[in-house]
Amino acid sequence: MNTPFKPKITLFHCINALSDKDALNEMGSDTLELKVVKLPCSAMVKDIFLLRAFETGADGVAVMVCPEGTCRYVEGNIRAQKRVAWVKKLLDEIGVGGDRLALHNIPHGDIAEAVRIINQTVEQLIESGPNPAF
Amino acid sequence: MIVGEQKPIAEIKAMVAPYNKVLILGCGTCVKTCFAGGEDEAAVLTSALRLAFKKDGKNIEIETQTIERQCEDGFIKESAAAVSRNEAVLSLACGAGVQDMARRFPVTPVLPGVNTTFIGVLEKQGLFTEECLGCGHCELAVFGGVCPVTRCSKKLLNGPCGGSRDGKCEISPDTDCAWQLIIARLTALGQMDNLRTYIPPKDWRTSHAGGPRKLVREDHII
Ligand code: SF4
Ligand code: SF4
Repeated sequence: MNTPFKPKITLFHCINALSDKDALNEMGSDTLELKVVKLPCSAMVKDIFLLRAFETGADGVAVMVCPEGTCRYVEGNIRAQKRVAWVKKLLDEIGVGGDRLALHNIPHGDIAEAVRIINQTVEQLIESGPNPAF
Repeated sequence: MIVGEQKPIAEIKAMVAPYNKVLILGCGTCVKTCFAGGEDEAAVLTSALRLAFKKDGKNIEIETQTIERQCEDGFIKESAAAVSRNEAVLSLACGAGVQDMARRFPVTPVLPGVNTTFIGVLEKQGLFTEECLGCGHCELAVFGGVCPVTRCSKKLLNGPCGGSRDGKCEISPDTDCAWQLIIARLTALGQMDNLRTYIPPKDWRTSHAGGPRKLVREDHII
Protein backbone atom coordinates (compact mmCIF):
# COMPACT_ATOMS: atom_id res chain seq x y z
CA MET A 1 0.00 0.00 0.00
CA ASN A 2 1.31 3.49 -0.90
CA THR A 3 2.03 5.84 2.00
CA PRO A 4 -0.20 8.87 1.54
CA PHE A 5 1.60 12.06 0.55
CA LYS A 6 2.31 14.18 3.61
CA PRO A 7 3.05 17.73 2.41
CA LYS A 8 5.98 19.65 3.86
CA ILE A 9 5.01 23.25 4.46
CA THR A 10 7.20 26.12 5.56
CA LEU A 11 5.33 28.98 7.18
CA PHE A 12 6.90 32.42 7.46
CA HIS A 13 4.99 34.78 9.69
CA CYS A 14 5.41 38.20 11.16
CA ILE A 15 5.32 38.20 14.97
CA ASN A 16 2.80 41.01 14.86
CA ALA A 17 0.44 38.90 12.75
CA LEU A 18 0.77 35.71 14.82
CA SER A 19 2.34 35.54 18.22
CA ASP A 20 0.95 32.28 19.61
CA LYS A 21 2.49 29.70 17.33
CA ASP A 22 2.13 26.78 19.75
CA ALA A 23 -1.22 25.95 18.27
CA LEU A 24 0.40 25.78 14.84
CA ASN A 25 3.30 23.64 16.00
CA GLU A 26 0.86 21.08 17.29
CA MET A 27 -0.96 20.89 13.96
CA GLY A 28 -1.71 17.44 12.58
CA SER A 29 1.65 15.75 12.33
CA ASP A 30 -0.15 12.86 10.58
CA THR A 31 -1.21 15.01 7.68
CA LEU A 32 1.65 17.48 7.25
CA GLU A 33 5.17 18.46 8.25
CA LEU A 34 5.15 22.08 9.31
CA LYS A 35 8.19 24.29 9.77
CA VAL A 36 7.47 27.67 11.31
CA VAL A 37 9.79 30.64 10.83
CA LYS A 38 8.87 33.76 12.75
CA LEU A 39 10.15 37.12 11.66
CA PRO A 40 10.20 40.48 13.47
CA CYS A 41 8.49 42.05 10.45
CA SER A 42 7.16 40.54 7.22
CA ALA A 43 9.50 42.88 5.27
CA MET A 44 12.24 40.42 6.26
CA VAL A 45 10.80 37.75 3.97
CA LYS A 46 13.61 37.85 1.46
CA ASP A 47 13.40 36.13 -1.93
CA ILE A 48 16.25 33.84 -0.99
CA PHE A 49 14.50 32.58 2.17
CA LEU A 50 11.45 31.57 0.15
CA LEU A 51 13.56 29.80 -2.47
CA ARG A 52 15.74 28.06 0.12
CA ALA A 53 12.61 26.62 1.70
CA PHE A 54 11.83 24.93 -1.62
CA GLU A 55 15.47 24.00 -2.14
CA THR A 56 15.47 22.18 1.18
CA GLY A 57 12.39 20.20 0.32
CA ALA A 58 9.26 22.21 1.09
CA ASP A 59 6.29 21.30 -1.10
CA GLY A 60 4.60 24.59 -0.29
CA VAL A 61 5.40 27.87 1.42
CA ALA A 62 2.91 30.15 3.16
CA VAL A 63 3.63 33.70 4.25
CA MET A 64 1.30 35.22 6.84
CA VAL A 65 1.25 38.98 7.26
CA CYS A 66 -0.98 41.61 8.84
CA PRO A 67 -3.93 43.01 6.89
CA GLU A 68 -3.13 45.86 4.50
CA GLY A 69 -2.86 49.22 6.19
CA THR A 70 -2.11 47.73 9.61
CA CYS A 71 1.60 46.94 9.40
CA ARG A 72 3.38 48.13 12.52
CA TYR A 73 6.27 49.24 10.31
CA VAL A 74 3.89 50.82 7.77
CA GLU A 75 4.90 48.99 4.60
CA GLY A 76 6.39 45.64 5.66
CA ASN A 77 3.42 43.61 4.44
CA ILE A 78 3.37 45.45 1.08
CA ARG A 79 7.05 44.61 0.58
CA ALA A 80 6.37 40.99 1.50
CA GLN A 81 3.52 40.89 -0.99
CA LYS A 82 5.73 42.22 -3.80
CA ARG A 83 8.54 39.76 -3.02
CA VAL A 84 6.13 36.85 -2.93
CA ALA A 85 4.73 37.91 -6.32
CA TRP A 86 8.29 38.11 -7.71
CA VAL A 87 9.26 34.67 -6.40
CA LYS A 88 5.98 33.14 -7.65
CA LYS A 89 6.94 34.31 -11.14
CA LEU A 90 10.40 32.81 -10.72
CA LEU A 91 8.94 29.49 -9.54
CA ASP A 92 6.70 29.41 -12.62
CA GLU A 93 9.69 30.11 -14.86
CA ILE A 94 11.71 27.21 -13.45
CA GLY A 95 8.75 24.85 -13.56
CA VAL A 96 8.38 24.35 -9.80
CA GLY A 97 5.04 26.21 -9.88
CA GLY A 98 4.23 29.60 -8.41
CA ASP A 99 1.00 28.27 -6.92
CA ARG A 100 3.06 26.46 -4.26
CA LEU A 101 3.76 29.83 -2.65
CA ALA A 102 1.10 32.14 -1.24
CA LEU A 103 0.80 35.22 0.93
CA HIS A 104 -2.11 35.56 3.33
CA ASN A 105 -3.25 38.64 5.21
CA ILE A 106 -4.62 37.48 8.53
CA PRO A 107 -6.23 39.45 11.34
CA HIS A 108 -3.82 39.98 14.28
CA GLY A 109 -3.39 36.81 16.30
CA ASP A 110 -6.24 34.96 14.57
CA ILE A 111 -4.84 31.47 15.09
CA ALA A 112 -8.05 29.78 13.89
CA GLU A 113 -7.70 31.54 10.54
CA ALA A 114 -4.03 30.53 10.35
CA VAL A 115 -4.98 26.89 10.99
CA ARG A 116 -7.71 27.08 8.33
CA ILE A 117 -5.20 28.45 5.78
CA ILE A 118 -2.66 25.72 6.56
CA ASN A 119 -5.31 23.03 6.17
CA GLN A 120 -6.40 24.54 2.88
CA THR A 121 -2.74 24.61 1.74
CA VAL A 122 -2.44 20.90 2.62
CA GLU A 123 -5.47 20.12 0.43
CA GLN A 124 -4.06 22.15 -2.46
CA LEU A 125 -0.67 20.45 -2.18
CA ILE A 126 -2.22 16.99 -2.11
CA GLU A 127 -3.78 17.92 -5.43
CA SER A 128 -0.54 19.40 -6.93
CA GLY A 129 1.70 16.65 -5.56
CA PRO A 130 5.23 16.89 -4.13
CA ASN A 131 7.83 19.53 -4.95
CA PRO A 132 8.91 18.50 -8.50
CA ALA A 133 12.58 19.10 -7.67
CA PHE A 134 12.52 16.15 -5.22
CA MET B 1 26.41 53.87 -12.88
CA ILE B 2 25.99 51.07 -15.40
CA VAL B 3 22.43 49.75 -15.41
CA GLY B 4 21.63 46.18 -16.36
CA GLU B 5 18.94 43.57 -16.03
CA GLN B 6 19.34 39.88 -15.25
CA LYS B 7 18.68 37.66 -18.26
CA PRO B 8 15.63 35.39 -18.22
CA ILE B 9 16.23 32.17 -16.25
CA ALA B 10 15.54 29.99 -19.32
CA GLU B 11 18.34 31.71 -21.27
CA ILE B 12 20.77 31.42 -18.34
CA LYS B 13 19.83 27.79 -17.79
CA ALA B 14 20.52 26.94 -21.45
CA MET B 15 23.92 28.68 -21.28
CA VAL B 16 25.14 26.80 -18.20
CA ALA B 17 23.55 23.44 -19.06
CA PRO B 18 26.63 21.99 -20.85
CA TYR B 19 28.75 22.27 -17.67
CA ASN B 20 28.85 20.18 -14.49
CA LYS B 21 30.43 22.76 -12.20
CA VAL B 22 29.57 26.41 -12.52
CA LEU B 23 30.59 29.50 -10.58
CA ILE B 24 27.95 32.23 -10.37
CA LEU B 25 29.96 35.39 -9.82
CA GLY B 26 28.18 38.50 -8.57
CA CYS B 27 29.56 42.02 -8.84
CA GLY B 28 29.17 44.31 -5.85
CA THR B 29 29.07 47.72 -7.53
CA CYS B 30 26.74 48.99 -10.32
CA VAL B 31 24.73 45.82 -11.01
CA LYS B 32 24.21 45.37 -7.27
CA THR B 33 22.57 48.81 -7.07
CA CYS B 34 20.19 48.00 -9.92
CA PHE B 35 19.31 44.56 -8.46
CA ALA B 36 20.75 42.65 -11.42
CA GLY B 37 23.90 40.99 -10.12
CA GLY B 38 24.89 41.73 -6.53
CA GLU B 39 25.24 39.27 -3.69
CA ASP B 40 21.48 38.90 -3.17
CA GLU B 41 20.75 38.32 -6.86
CA ALA B 42 23.61 35.82 -7.14
CA ALA B 43 22.16 33.85 -4.20
CA VAL B 44 18.62 33.90 -5.62
CA LEU B 45 19.82 32.82 -9.07
CA THR B 46 21.88 30.01 -7.55
CA SER B 47 18.92 28.70 -5.63
CA ALA B 48 16.56 29.01 -8.62
CA LEU B 49 19.00 27.21 -10.95
CA ARG B 50 19.62 24.42 -8.44
CA LEU B 51 15.87 23.85 -8.20
CA ALA B 52 15.44 24.04 -11.97
CA PHE B 53 18.18 21.48 -12.71
CA LYS B 54 17.14 19.22 -9.87
CA LYS B 55 13.62 19.19 -11.29
CA ASP B 56 15.09 18.01 -14.62
CA GLY B 57 17.07 15.32 -12.81
CA LYS B 58 20.38 16.96 -13.75
CA ASN B 59 23.01 17.34 -11.08
CA ILE B 60 24.99 20.54 -11.61
CA GLU B 61 27.26 21.82 -8.86
CA ILE B 62 26.84 25.55 -8.46
CA GLU B 63 29.17 27.68 -6.38
CA THR B 64 28.49 31.35 -5.65
CA GLN B 65 30.80 34.26 -4.92
CA THR B 66 30.50 38.03 -5.16
CA ILE B 67 33.47 40.33 -5.60
CA GLU B 68 33.52 44.10 -5.28
CA ARG B 69 34.06 44.74 -9.01
CA GLN B 70 34.67 42.53 -12.04
CA CYS B 71 36.12 45.39 -14.08
CA GLU B 72 39.27 45.72 -11.97
CA ASP B 73 42.09 43.24 -11.77
CA GLY B 74 42.73 43.80 -8.05
CA PHE B 75 39.25 42.51 -7.23
CA ILE B 76 39.12 39.85 -9.96
CA LYS B 77 42.08 38.08 -8.34
CA GLU B 78 39.86 37.27 -5.36
CA SER B 79 37.79 34.98 -7.58
CA ALA B 80 40.77 33.01 -8.98
CA ALA B 81 40.48 30.06 -6.57
CA ALA B 82 36.75 29.65 -7.17
CA VAL B 83 37.21 30.00 -10.94
CA SER B 84 39.80 27.21 -10.92
CA ARG B 85 37.36 24.86 -9.13
CA ASN B 86 34.70 25.28 -11.83
CA GLU B 87 34.28 24.51 -15.52
CA ALA B 88 32.59 27.82 -16.37
CA VAL B 89 31.72 31.17 -14.86
CA LEU B 90 28.34 32.83 -15.13
CA SER B 91 29.17 36.47 -14.56
CA LEU B 92 26.50 38.80 -13.24
CA ALA B 93 28.62 41.88 -14.04
CA CYS B 94 28.06 44.32 -16.90
CA GLY B 95 29.59 43.51 -20.29
CA ALA B 96 32.86 45.17 -19.27
CA GLY B 97 33.13 42.93 -16.21
CA VAL B 98 32.38 39.80 -18.25
CA GLN B 99 35.12 40.70 -20.72
CA ASP B 100 37.67 41.55 -18.05
CA MET B 101 36.99 38.17 -16.43
CA ALA B 102 37.42 36.47 -19.82
CA ARG B 103 40.71 38.29 -20.32
CA ARG B 104 42.01 37.17 -16.92
CA PHE B 105 40.93 33.54 -17.29
CA PRO B 106 41.78 32.67 -20.90
CA VAL B 107 40.78 28.99 -20.77
CA THR B 108 37.57 29.29 -18.73
CA PRO B 109 34.28 30.11 -20.50
CA VAL B 110 32.80 33.29 -18.98
CA LEU B 111 29.08 33.63 -19.73
CA PRO B 112 26.96 36.78 -19.39
CA GLY B 113 24.05 36.54 -16.92
CA VAL B 114 23.03 40.17 -17.32
CA ASN B 115 21.90 42.33 -20.23
CA THR B 116 23.85 45.57 -19.87
CA THR B 117 21.52 48.37 -20.82
CA PHE B 118 22.68 51.92 -20.15
CA ILE B 119 24.58 54.54 -18.13
CA GLY B 120 22.00 55.98 -15.79
CA VAL B 121 20.81 56.93 -12.35
CA LEU B 122 18.45 55.67 -9.70
CA GLU B 123 15.78 58.32 -10.26
CA LYS B 124 13.60 57.01 -7.45
CA GLN B 125 13.20 53.69 -5.64
CA GLY B 126 12.95 50.97 -8.28
CA LEU B 127 13.26 53.34 -11.25
CA PHE B 128 16.48 53.64 -13.25
CA THR B 129 16.75 56.08 -16.13
CA GLU B 130 19.28 56.56 -18.91
CA GLU B 131 21.21 59.83 -18.65
CA CYS B 132 24.41 59.60 -20.71
CA LEU B 133 25.43 57.89 -23.97
CA GLY B 134 29.14 58.30 -23.30
CA CYS B 135 29.49 60.46 -26.43
CA GLY B 136 33.04 61.47 -25.55
CA HIS B 137 32.45 65.24 -25.77
CA CYS B 138 30.19 66.45 -22.99
CA GLU B 139 28.17 69.59 -23.64
CA LEU B 140 26.00 69.55 -20.53
CA ALA B 141 27.16 73.08 -19.59
CA VAL B 142 25.27 74.51 -22.58
CA PHE B 143 22.11 72.53 -21.84
CA GLY B 144 21.87 73.35 -18.15
CA GLY B 145 22.77 69.82 -17.09
CA VAL B 146 20.14 67.92 -19.11
CA CYS B 147 21.55 65.84 -21.97
CA PRO B 148 19.63 66.07 -25.26
CA VAL B 149 22.04 63.61 -26.89
CA THR B 150 20.73 60.90 -24.58
CA ARG B 151 17.33 62.10 -23.45
CA CYS B 152 15.84 63.73 -26.56
CA SER B 153 14.47 60.91 -28.70
CA LYS B 154 15.70 62.69 -31.83
CA LYS B 155 18.99 63.87 -30.30
CA LEU B 156 18.12 67.46 -31.27
CA LEU B 157 20.79 69.96 -30.23
CA ASN B 158 19.18 73.29 -31.13
CA GLY B 159 15.72 73.27 -29.58
CA PRO B 160 12.66 71.06 -29.47
CA CYS B 161 10.74 69.49 -32.31
CA GLY B 162 7.01 70.10 -32.80
CA GLY B 163 6.08 66.92 -30.97
CA SER B 164 6.60 68.22 -27.44
CA ARG B 165 3.24 68.21 -25.60
CA ASP B 166 2.64 69.14 -21.97
CA GLY B 167 6.23 68.36 -21.09
CA LYS B 168 6.16 64.92 -22.69
CA CYS B 169 7.90 63.59 -25.79
CA GLU B 170 5.77 62.50 -28.72
CA ILE B 171 7.24 59.00 -28.61
CA SER B 172 5.39 58.21 -25.37
CA PRO B 173 3.38 59.97 -22.67
CA ASP B 174 5.74 58.27 -20.16
CA THR B 175 8.83 60.00 -21.58
CA ASP B 176 9.74 63.53 -20.52
CA CYS B 177 10.62 65.90 -23.35
CA ALA B 178 14.30 66.61 -22.75
CA TRP B 179 13.94 70.04 -24.34
CA GLN B 180 11.14 70.98 -21.97
CA LEU B 181 13.51 70.07 -19.13
CA ILE B 182 16.39 71.98 -20.69
CA ILE B 183 14.32 75.13 -21.12
CA ALA B 184 12.89 74.92 -17.59
CA ARG B 185 16.37 74.46 -16.18
CA LEU B 186 18.00 77.25 -18.24
CA THR B 187 15.13 79.58 -17.27
CA ALA B 188 15.70 78.79 -13.59
CA LEU B 189 19.43 79.42 -14.02
CA GLY B 190 18.85 82.63 -16.01
CA GLN B 191 20.87 81.11 -18.86
CA MET B 192 18.36 81.01 -21.72
CA ASP B 193 20.88 82.96 -23.79
CA ASN B 194 22.85 79.71 -24.08
CA LEU B 195 20.35 78.73 -26.75
CA ARG B 196 21.28 81.63 -29.00
CA THR B 197 24.52 79.85 -29.87
CA TYR B 198 24.16 77.44 -32.76
CA ILE B 199 25.37 73.93 -31.86
CA PRO B 200 26.86 72.22 -34.92
CA PRO B 201 26.01 68.59 -35.73
CA LYS B 202 27.68 66.25 -33.30
CA ASP B 203 31.02 64.80 -34.26
CA TRP B 204 30.42 61.15 -33.47
CA ARG B 205 34.06 60.19 -33.89
CA THR B 206 34.56 60.78 -30.15
CA SER B 207 31.71 58.33 -29.56
CA HIS B 208 31.49 54.71 -30.55
CA ALA B 209 31.36 55.58 -34.25
CA GLY B 210 35.12 56.21 -33.98
CA GLY B 211 35.73 52.55 -33.08
CA PRO B 212 36.62 51.08 -29.68
CA ARG B 213 37.85 53.85 -27.39
CA LYS B 214 40.85 53.98 -25.10
CA LEU B 215 41.85 56.33 -22.31
CA VAL B 216 45.56 56.59 -21.74
CA ARG B 217 46.92 58.30 -18.60
CA GLU B 218 50.66 58.45 -19.09
CA ASP B 219 51.13 59.86 -15.61
CA HIS B 220 49.81 56.59 -14.17
CA ILE B 221 51.89 54.29 -16.33
CA ILE B 222 55.26 53.18 -14.96
S1 SF4 C 1 26.72 65.24 -23.82
FE1 SF4 C 1 27.67 63.24 -24.15
S2 SF4 C 1 28.95 62.87 -22.36
FE2 SF4 C 1 27.57 64.57 -21.84
S3 SF4 C 1 25.82 63.57 -20.84
FE3 SF4 C 1 25.33 63.74 -23.01
S4 SF4 C 1 25.99 61.78 -23.92
FE4 SF4 C 1 26.96 61.96 -21.90
S1 SF4 D 1 9.32 65.86 -28.09
FE1 SF4 D 1 11.12 66.68 -26.99
S2 SF4 D 1 12.32 64.84 -26.45
FE2 SF4 D 1 10.82 64.16 -27.94
S3 SF4 D 1 11.91 64.32 -29.86
FE3 SF4 D 1 10.85 66.29 -29.61
S4 SF4 D 1 12.28 67.64 -28.60
FE4 SF4 D 1 13.09 65.55 -28.39
